Amino acid sequence: MTGSTRRHFLKTTAAAALATGAGYRPAWAAEEVLKVGVIHMGAISDTGWEHYQAQAWRALETAYPGKVKVTVLENIAQIQDCERLFRQLSTQGNKLIFGTTFSQYASLKKLAPTLTGSHFECCAGIEAGRNLGVFEARQYEGTYLTGIAAGRMTKSNILGWVGAFPVPQVIYSLNAFLLGARSVNPAATLKVVWANAWVDPAKEKDAVAALVAQGADVLSGSPNTPVQGLAAEEKGVWSIGSTGDFSAYVRKKQLTSFELDWSSAHLGAAKAVIEGNWKPESRWLGLGAGGFLKMTTSSPDLPASVAAEMKAAEAAIVSGTLKPFAGPLKDQSGAPKVAAGAALPDQEIRTMTWLVEGVQGTLPRT
Amino acid sequence: MSSLVAQLIVATLVAGTPLVYAALGELVVERAGVVNMGVEGMMVVGAVAAFAVAMATGSLGLGVLVAMAAGMLLSLLFAVLAVSFNANQVAVGLALTIFGTSLGSYLGKSYVGMALVVPPSGLGAAAADIPILGQLHPLVWLSWVLFTATWFFLYRTKYGLALRAVGESPASAHAIGYPVIRIRYLATLFGGALAGIAGAYVSLVYTALWTEGLIAGRGWIAVALVVFATWRPGRCLAGAYLFGGATMAQLFAQSAGVGLPSELMSALPYLATIVVLALISRDETMMRLNVPASLGKPFSI
Repeated sequence: MTGSTRRHFLKTTAAAALATGAGYRPAWAAEEVLKVGVIHMGAISDTGWEHYQAQAWRALETAYPGKVKVTVLENIAQIQDCERLFRQLSTQGNKLIFGTTFSQYASLKKLAPTLTGSHFECCAGIEAGRNLGVFEARQYEGTYLTGIAAGRMTKSNILGWVGAFPVPQVIYSLNAFLLGARSVNPAATLKVVWANAWVDPAKEKDAVAALVAQGADVLSGSPNTPVQGLAAEEKGVWSIGSTGDFSAYVRKKQLTSFELDWSSAHLGAAKAVIEGNWKPESRWLGLGAGGFLKMTTSSPDLPASVAAEMKAAEAAIVSGTLKPFAGPLKDQSGAPKVAAGAALPDQEIRTMTWLVEGVQGTLPRT
Repeated sequence: MSSLVAQLIVATLVAGTPLVYAALGELVVERAGVVNMGVEGMMVVGAVAAFAVAMATGSLGLGVLVAMAAGMLLSLLFAVLAVSFNANQVAVGLALTIFGTSLGSYLGKSYVGMALVVPPSGLGAAAADIPILGQLHPLVWLSWVLFTATWFFLYRTKYGLALRAVGESPASAHAIGYPVIRIRYLATLFGGALAGIAGAYVSLVYTALWTEGLIAGRGWIAVALVVFATWRPGRCLAGAYLFGGATMAQLFAQSAGVGLPSELMSALPYLATIVVLALISRDETMMRLNVPASLGKPFSI
């Protein structure tokens, strides 16, 4: 992880904008069309991860009508096929190529330095490399806010989380969810159930049933389908959409949600390539303008006072005065992890493999 | 606590039902001496077909019927290749799964993420007061009816005997005048219809939505269940609920904070099913008596 921050990103883009404004001649001839390639490992018709990836390149098409031609390959489940197609996209003259998942990162790290005819960007990659930029969302900023809503709305003080796999992104998200809840309701606890599958809606539904049966009354997780929300609605408990707004399906009992918005990464990279000043960068952004997270509308049943609390916390997170992983923090066993007055550094958040105090659930031992 | 047990029982029955349908269908197919590994593919297509029809018409019953038809259509394709043309049954079955899964994704594209809102059926509403049973969908009850009927057919009717004879020794069955090919076709179609219902149950009742990866390997579990149940319906039923029960129990245990690694717990249903069914089928004589002697072997006149 290099020391890139949102501020750094804004500075460079602002500098780029200034440079063009000051009569800098772009290396890119105006009439030329920028060819962009994108490879999705899943179906872009899903309602979660791939959907938001697709929204980003659609934003490109909207921003540069006729100037950008996006070639999209979807459902390329095998990484070997992805590698072959990344090469192919590059030889076909796509100047900017996006990987959409962490699974493609290792391949791109290997390929990008050799395919110098194109620039590469990988969503959810670890760190920028030669000819490869990465961008990832600080999902924990979103779950901290939705946690505030959960902490205020729970009656049993038991929250539930349906996890796909215990990877750091999911772990820091659910940790922050409980920390947000505990910031307004110190009695809150969080029960975690791992489905051990990225997509198995039937099992996710069963997991919701198991959590509700044990008293959880506000549920969240990082689903790609509305099934968790629908199952919660059926049981009469609240659900919260993390990385996805499912209010179109879950009509009554979706409390609140946040969405992913990668458009600034796609727009920024395309602009830089067009202007000939693209550089590999690591971006890890959360809430705020130009960030990768967006809070969405909440249920009308969410009290205005709670909504205001969330707004205030959002502003504090954006301004940097509120850090979700600020000390004192203890892990599940009660062992101190972060001292009072300190905050967990980015590097340790990104590689988090421990659960905060109050989470009931297990992690694989390493 | 008793309500927790009741919820666990209901959840087990709900989770086991698609396996009951699919395994029962495959059992009949294999009893006729045919191995159709395409259950997963037929379930996927059944799930999409049922969901699309139910969305368009608002009728679950119609959705289930169309799913049955879709499953039968795919199994007909299988029968033409594997029963008439004697292509390798395993290869055709695998191809059918790959084909069915992709076809399902393609057909289901415009339905991804949509949720089905269906008012409870009159029957369901009338039974809502009965404990446990009342919380189950009529399709769960239907699985028990079908199970009983299939058992009765296999072991108490002349036609069931003929079907089993075809699975044991198609040449002998042919010699005494049974239409081997026709019986194998009918058995395969029955298997397709039940796989279709199994898929419909998942997309209409279990999750009430369609998405890729919905079936998530349940068709394969059904195929394995038939083998581990030594081709006997009762054990198939028990195995399906055992699997469903173990799945639910591990999710309940996880949320109760039992300190076992979740990966191990996720593996438990598979492990428990294999161990239990292997234990009850360890009797070699019973095993030999029950495995259809001509399973997977082609037959031509």
